[in-house]
Amino acid sequence: MDEQSLIRRAQDGDATSFAELLDLYYDTIHRFAWKWCGHTADAQDIAQQACIKLANSLPQFRFQSAFTTWLYRLVISCAQDWQRQQRQQRQQRQQRRDVHDAVPPVESGTEGTRTEDQIYLEQVLSQLQQLGEGMKETALLVHAEGLSHAEAGEVLGVSESTISWRIHAIRKRMGQRERRKSVVL
Amino acid sequence: MRAQSFELVLRDTTAPAPNPLVRLAAKQAALVEFAQFQALRLERAGRDLRSRENATAESGQLENVDVEGGAGTGPQASPQYPRSRPTSFRRPAIVNLLAGALSACIPAFGMVVLWSDGASLEFRPRIWALEAKAISEPAALVLVAELPLPIIETVHLEPPAFSIELADAPGKVEAMSELKPSAAFADTVDIPSESMDGDRFHAFETNPIKRVADEPVSTFSVDVDTASYTYVRRALSAGILPPRDAVRAEEMINYFDYSWPAPTSPDEAFRAAIAVNDSPWTPGNKLIHIGIKGYELPPHEQPDVNLVLLIDVSGSMASADRLPLVQQSFGLLLRRLKPYDTVAIVTYAGDTRVALPPTPVREWQEILDALRALRAGGGTDGESGIRAAYELAGNNFRQGGVNRVLLATDGDFNVGITDVEDLKKFVARERGKGIFLSVLGFGASNYNDEMAQALAQNGNGVAAYVDSGYEAQKVLVREATSSLFTIAKDVKLQVEFNPATVTQYRLVGYETRALRREDFENDAVDAGDIGSGHRVTAIYELTPAAPATATAPATASNTQTYGRLLIRYKQPDGRTSRLIEQPILINPPPLSPTLQRDVELATAVAGFAQLLRGGTYTGALTYKDVVRQAEAAAVNDPNGYRGEFLQLVEEAQQMAARGGGD
Repeated sequence: MDEQSLIRRAQDGDATSFAELLDLYYDTIHRFAWKWCGHTADAQDIAQQACIKLANSLPQFRFQSAFTTWLYRLVISCAQDWQRQQRQQRQQRQQRRDVHDAVPPVESGTEGTRTEDQIYLEQVLSQLQQLGEGMKETALLVHAEGLSHAEAGEVLGVSESTISWRIHAIRKRMGQRERRKSVVL
Repeated sequence: MRAQSFELVLRDTTAPAPNPLVRLAAKQAALVEFAQFQALRLERAGRDLRSRENATAESGQLENVDVEGGAGTGPQASPQYPRSRPTSFRRPAIVNLLAGALSACIPAFGMVVLWSDGASLEFRPRIWALEAKAISEPAALVLVAELPLPIIETVHLEPPAFSIELADAPGKVEAMSELKPSAAFADTVDIPSESMDGDRFHAFETNPIKRVADEPVSTFSVDVDTASYTYVRRALSAGILPPRDAVRAEEMINYFDYSWPAPTSPDEAFRAAIAVNDSPWTPGNKLIHIGIKGYELPPHEQPDVNLVLLIDVSGSMASADRLPLVQQSFGLLLRRLKPYDTVAIVTYAGDTRVALPPTPVREWQEILDALRALRAGGGTDGESGIRAAYELAGNNFRQGGVNRVLLATDGDFNVGITDVEDLKKFVARERGKGIFLSVLGFGASNYNDEMAQALAQNGNGVAAYVDSGYEAQKVLVREATSSLFTIAKDVKLQVEFNPATVTQYRLVGYETRALRREDFENDAVDAGDIGSGHRVTAIYELTPAAPATATAPATASNTQTYGRLLIRYKQPDGRTSRLIEQPILINPPPLSPTLQRDVELATAVAGFAQLLRGGTYTGALTYKDVVRQAEAAAVNDPNGYRGEFLQLVEEAQQMAARGGGD
């Protein structure tokens, strides 16, 4: 069955087709989520959220763009929601700690099992994050996923020229950072 | 160090392959969501269809329109739902999935086969009803709700038949029912109120009026439980009238603290007081309040405590009103214990674990840490939870002390003994050895009230329902000594009415505590217990014999009283009962103003409970009358319980006014 009719059947409520669609796209969702946050457990959470969201927003896909384009948008919005939640929870935890006892915070994540590559990625991601809204997503779509500027623009809902400008700005500022760092090192 | 441009880092850092289990979990979660979402769509489609049908008075092509979206997947097409692909789901997932599947498959004539992963899944038909009801399918629901046995192994939905395999000891039972696909879109089928709810209540009939000539003696066991009131409060606060069987008048009355006179020395276990007032429900009738208050142990007299907390940590306990509240509640309880009392913690879910060996309260930090470390998760096939808890309590037995298992659960009594009768027997056997059991219920929606009652009764303990930190404070802090220290056990009440002065009578509440007349004298018959400072109130409504009919010679002895009250009880460690006897005077000495107000409050609560149960015997009484009665009585309200009661009555009144009959 081709992708389009699979999607149509899933949109019509066919669970088997929906399951097949998940099998086809889970890896894409997971990969993108992982590159977005650079963290295994977080990526799993985001990917699951995205799958759940897919279950009830699939009918909104209108075949006006490539399915993957639409899917990227969905994963990004799940990732952003997820990050917002994490931030709130962290704040609440901190407030509670201030009030109550001095129980040390439970370190989340799988420190120590990260590869050198992963550490680099985390650094790059946090630097990109600081460049401003949409910058990290733009860099990921273009450099990591290999989308054209036009496609990335479609995912993020901005024009092609905006993407081009962002890529330029990112390159410039990341270059400055790298140069500065190499001086320090 | 490698020098690498950020572009290359982004491009070349490869994400690890997803963990297949995580992948499967994500897929299942999404499929559940998908099923629910589709069910909602179907429901909407069904509603549209119905309204259209009504408009055009045509009912030809039910399934072909809208429901399948015209994508060539009509009923004749091969079913798209997973066919003969057995999949295991964890309980919350399967409940949702089944609910979704039921609604999705029936109109589509598809087929869904669901397998549970064996005995570890306990299905409660009424939960399905609840979950599925939110989505749609009354036709299927009624079938599900009628299933008599709680444990279901396999569900087959193969139109037109619907079958469920029940895991039953002597062999597998199959429950088969016909599916009526056309009923899928029929108008809402009437579902009995209790099955809209996951909670289970023992059904009982309200005590009828009895003629003294036929049955001059009334016998019952005391009941100090208050779970019913908490449950009713929770239902009303959520905007629903509680199901009838959830309302036990005596538990509502006993929720409040009335200032019945207390005994002053430990030799006198408790004292009974009797008040006589006019009945507000039936002109000419009298209300007899019988109030009992247990001796309150001062702190230095409190025996040593050996407490084992048996805590359900199955996945369903995760929500804020369950495990977190359990942790908070038991933290509060510690404050009421003495330094050398001990606390142990046993948890049950997928397996049984001793989370904390018996630890003296003086090391409270350790106990708190163990409590805090508890996490909910996993199924509930607790292998030997209850045995492990009793074993710990037994190993640490305090002679002459309090040895008690405190079970905290949201309704999963799957503690290792699956047969209800076996479980009751086990608890009763341990009671014989001196280890008692109390049950604390948490959370709404699948709280098994009936089971909690039965277990606590067999274990000489209390069943309480904790819905908030506020309630935990009441049960575990303010009333901790009552719940922990039994001062009298097997307390039975008997009232013998005087045929010369009373023609008929009716006991308000205590339906589930009724005893046979001959059980009163039989010390082998178990009854309720009274803890330190506990108070119990019972109300009789009686019709006095009119002077004309009371033609028996007016001797001084038989017209002074309505009858007499007999109480039998045993010392906590005693085997033979003692008897207390007291006449019920027609004109007793007046009560103190405080106590008179308390009696009026009890009357108001009794009226409220009876109205919630349908108001068979309360004449023209309305919620408004109850408010009026309670207002006067709520003057003295140190803990705010009485004010809260007023609020509840007002809510019930508004709901009844709005809903009419539902």
